[in-house]
Amino acid sequence: MGMFEDIPVDVGPIYEGERIRKEQMYVEFGGPNVKEKFELCLVKPPEEVEDGKVIIVGPDIKDLEEGKSYPFGIIVEVAGKELEKDLEGVFERRIHYFCNYIEGFMHLNQRYDIWLRLSRSSFKKGLNSFNYIGKVLIRLFKSEFPIIEKIQVTFITDPEKVKEWFDKALKIYEERDARALALHDEDVEEFYGCTLCQSFAPSHVCIITPDRLSLCGSISWLDARAAARIDPKGPNFRVEKGECLDPIRGEYSGANEAVREKSLGEVERVYLYSMFGYPHTTCGCCEAIAFYIPEVDGIGIVDRNFKGPTVIGLTFSALANEVGGGRQVEGFVGISIGYMRSPKFFQADGGWSRVVWMPSHIKERVKDAIPPELYDKIATEKDAMTIEELREFLKQKGHPVVERWAKMEEKAEEVPEEVEMVPAMVPVEGVPVAGGFRIIFKNVKITAEKMIIRRELPPKKKKKE
Amino acid sequence: MSGESLRLKATEVQTTIGVIKGLEVAIGAVIEEEEEWEPMGPTPFPKVTDLRSWDMTLLKRYKPFYAPFCDLCCLCTYGKCDLTAGKRGACGLDIGTQQGRIVLLACLIGLAAHAGHARHLWHYLVEKFGRNVPVDLGGDIAVEAPHTRLICGFRPKTIGDFDVALKYVEEQLVQLLSATHTGQEGNYLDFESKALHVGMLDHLAMEIADIIQIVALNFPKGDPDAPLVEIGFGTVDRNKPVILCIGHNVAPAVEIVDYLREHNLYDKVEVCGVCCTAHDMTRYYSGAKIIGPLSRQLRYIRTGIPDVIIVDEQCIRADIVREAQRIHAPVVATNEKKCEGLPDRTHDPIDEIVDDLVNFRVPGVFIEDPRKAAELVVKTAIKIAPLRKQYKTLPSKEELIELAKKCTNCKSCRRACPNDYPVNEAVQAAKNGDLSKLAELAEVCVGCGRCESACPRGIPIFTLMTKAAEAEIEKERYKIRAGRGPIKDTEIRNVGAPIVLGEIPGVVAYIGCPNYPGSYREVAEMAEEFLRRRYIVVASGCEAMDIARYLTEEGKGLYEVYPGDFDAGCLVNVGSCVANAHISGAAIKIASIFARRNLRGNYEEIADYILNRVGAVGVAWGAMSQKAASIATGFNRLGIPAIVGPHGSKYRRAYLGRPDREEDWYVYDARTGEKVYAGPAPEHLIYPAESKEEAMVMTAKLCIRPNDTTKGRAIKLAHYIDLHKKFFGGLPEDLHLFVRTEADIPITMKDEVLEFLKEKGWKPMKIPDPTLLPRLIRRKAK
Repeated sequence: MGMFEDIPVDVGPIYEGERIRKEQMYVEFGGPNVKEKFELCLVKPPEEVEDGKVIIVGPDIKDLEEGKSYPFGIIVEVAGKELEKDLEGVFERRIHYFCNYIEGFMHLNQRYDIWLRLSRSSFKKGLNSFNYIGKVLIRLFKSEFPIIEKIQVTFITDPEKVKEWFDKALKIYEERDARALALHDEDVEEFYGCTLCQSFAPSHVCIITPDRLSLCGSISWLDARAAARIDPKGPNFRVEKGECLDPIRGEYSGANEAVREKSLGEVERVYLYSMFGYPHTTCGCCEAIAFYIPEVDGIGIVDRNFKGPTVIGLTFSALANEVGGGRQVEGFVGISIGYMRSPKFFQADGGWSRVVWMPSHIKERVKDAIPPELYDKIATEKDAMTIEELREFLKQKGHPVVERWAKMEEKAEEVPEEVEMVPAMVPVEGVPVAGGFRIIFKNVKITAEKMIIRRELPPKKKKKE
Repeated sequence: MSGESLRLKATEVQTTIGVIKGLEVAIGAVIEEEEEWEPMGPTPFPKVTDLRSWDMTLLKRYKPFYAPFCDLCCLCTYGKCDLTAGKRGACGLDIGTQQGRIVLLACLIGLAAHAGHARHLWHYLVEKFGRNVPVDLGGDIAVEAPHTRLICGFRPKTIGDFDVALKYVEEQLVQLLSATHTGQEGNYLDFESKALHVGMLDHLAMEIADIIQIVALNFPKGDPDAPLVEIGFGTVDRNKPVILCIGHNVAPAVEIVDYLREHNLYDKVEVCGVCCTAHDMTRYYSGAKIIGPLSRQLRYIRTGIPDVIIVDEQCIRADIVREAQRIHAPVVATNEKKCEGLPDRTHDPIDEIVDDLVNFRVPGVFIEDPRKAAELVVKTAIKIAPLRKQYKTLPSKEELIELAKKCTNCKSCRRACPNDYPVNEAVQAAKNGDLSKLAELAEVCVGCGRCESACPRGIPIFTLMTKAAEAEIEKERYKIRAGRGPIKDTEIRNVGAPIVLGEIPGVVAYIGCPNYPGSYREVAEMAEEFLRRRYIVVASGCEAMDIARYLTEEGKGLYEVYPGDFDAGCLVNVGSCVANAHISGAAIKIASIFARRNLRGNYEEIADYILNRVGAVGVAWGAMSQKAASIATGFNRLGIPAIVGPHGSKYRRAYLGRPDREEDWYVYDARTGEKVYAGPAPEHLIYPAESKEEAMVMTAKLCIRPNDTTKGRAIKLAHYIDLHKKFFGGLPEDLHLFVRTEADIPITMKDEVLEFLKEKGWKPMKIPDPTLLPRLIRRKAK
């Protein structure tokens, strides 16, 4: 029997993309017209949760006036032996997905920003009470997360109560964020691995740590932990941290072992906080790519939404072509936007003080993470589109990499310039070329099947660290 | 790579060593050697047999299934030979082999059409712009020509570079065609392998044709926001001179647009088109109008609206001159492949020809120079339009009833109808003044006109039908997004994560011809279903047009509602038939971009990758021409299944998998080398569906691939189950074959699916890193 026979509308992932426009809407919860709205998941002791209960505080859907927007809150309370506070955020994000599974019920955004709409047609079909929505959420939560033993759901439409809880919720979000931010690689026993991308790029292994989000930007350490706990045989798995071999570059014996095993020996070592030596492998779906620019001894970053060429002339696409597919390429590495906020962000290479170029919209987006004294020193596509312009910009702004140039030049002088071999004109043997003679060739016919023109480039000079 | 030959002659050359007189230097080919970009794979420029073992791997699992169109062989004068009941022909051939041979022939005709088209365009563009037009598709497209890289092993830098690839196609074409001669190939699987080879070459030829026109004529270069252009009978202002272009080769249409531009005639003349030329016209000039797909050709002519008809090549009616004469519109043929018995006037003064045409001294002319043809057509249209006023209308209702009265209800029309529509009943009703049945017929009619030609009383049935639906078709005004061409590398990358994470269930491509029975809205209805389900929906050619001729509940067209990106819940019109290569090209790019598999001369590995990993399926709801056969077969060799419409059972052959034969569905786990049962995924390579409902359920099923992540499999199964429940009721009987672990089960259906699995005695299976090629088993380093 179906799980939702007693629900008046259909429930399934096929409704995920459904948009309910204003003309189709019966009522709206939260959204831009309402100041107070929130959703919250709380892990509780078992005695405080009544399994399967739906609580409605304030008027139910059928008692609301059509076409209006209402203040709104959803509280999902869960209990279970294996649950811990850190999972609250992971569960909370499922509210969005699960609500969207309901035909004619749309959920946008998260936390204090939620915006829900119920369609007129689903209301007509009988979806007129939060009881139904509560039942759906309860069943889906239990089905997806068997570690949830008890669950109850509360819907609040009473404006007073919403306000009361809204303030509480804001505090909880803040505490939760602070806790997540305070959690670092040093504080945990284990990392997590992800091989989801191996279905398309078979040699890629992501190592996910509190300080290092997955390359795609969608799996945090907490997410991976929850997933590994729920499905230990699944694509997210526990990685023992093992011995810390290099705290600056971020080399851990456990991570090395995991990467070696899961890549079938193709990748031996991985530095989590550096783009040199043994950088992390890059998959096909990374949010951004960091690339070393030897001419200025700095790091450039480009995200996948930046269409044009970067300062080194290559587009994101071209760069991804060079490094993607699970390869380990020194000086190039795929990263998530979130990793730019990490205190370990290329820590071995100088972190932000080494970043010299990035698209302006990303610079704006991670502004909070960039040390204020560096913000104006990092060039964007508006400042520099060639290496020359970049060099000029960095010099003018006094970017920290400029100091490195002097050292670099000293080193470079020690290396003797390579002498290019230029093939000289070879005189035809036996033919006197000095004066006195005049040679005339008549009816010369030269026939060649093919002429191959091969470009000969001088060997590239490598510059590093 | 360019491959030009070099010839130098000098009467006298002074050098330091002497004077050379009468110097002649001849160099066969000047080749600029490519910089290193990727190691060369095993099969650059593959010969007919180079990929035979891959074909046999496919054919072992997906057996050819023939429903002979004809059980005789009439190809040589030994015959006719009766091949029924196990009999062999005079040459020794049996019926299965003959079917394989006919399939190969059909595919060859299709390939020849595309390769000929590509070659023609190439000459035209090289002459107009030179060989050195760069193959530049913009910053977001680094993998510019995936088929050329994959099959030929080089990266084209200029349009001139494609010459080598075209020569290769042309040579293969000769070898393959020769294999169909009496006394050559005698094994059906080998015929099929050759057909698969043809299909592969076909995509290469299409890619070349489309890329050269995109870069030389500056069509949209993978632009998701390509302009919305007009489509439908009602979009044309019949008070202006109307030029109708029919066919596939855009050259004459380009010249017409240029001529109008140069002479400031843009808003004085209407330029419209039928079939793929129409698509490509709008890619060049967004003010051009699309009348509709192939199925609208005869009907539009019958309205009498076109003042001049200009034809190029492919999918043009063979009776075009006769039909044009009926409405007193001259025909200008422009392509050597379609001269239509018209006098060659390429070298005559234009005004003289205009005069002949305007005064109906000749029904039409053949002009081989597109530029001249364009000038001629515009001048003729302007002059002839005022003279044609009387022909620009359909008969009155009274006249129509009079014509219908001639009907004796002999039913010849119905017997002639390829879809067995009750044509006679509609004509009978018209006798009594009821035109509604004729109008209904017009809605589902594929526009072939066979009913009329079968009528012993000479009733112009097709004209009656057109008249009956006149009010409806006058209202036809829709929007279509101009063909955007290739998929960007960045888009491929953007959908990577959601495909892996199970948010995008698959890619569905609507391709093919508009000759399917039932309403022309069926394709749009299917597309809408999958758009709402957030599949990536791609369309090309006539089916991209059918998708436009449909309004959602809110009265908007699908191209207006759904964005043009290659992304979940988006609708991409790649362009004309030849743009199909961008759809298969996108699958190739997935292998290149997600996994960094080398493309260069590496066909087999990439096809194996796509078959096992890329959840893409083509739906050729109408499959009429031989081109459709070669296009579908080309998708198949690359590991992409296709569904054909209800008349598909007569579409030569299917490639059907057998889920009941467990042994057919083992793959190697590339990590361990172990053979693992991976389920029947994808179940078929060519599958004829009886109804659009069946096609939709099958579409969802054929998106399933052995490598799916559990999240990906769960979403695919959710749609498969949901569609099955919606159209057939209940859970699909074969569901247990697709559930590998409990995590594959869509959470909203967990209880009922688990119960079903229990009944079936289901046991968890392994999820392999799948491949059919033992050489791709990864050896542990060290």
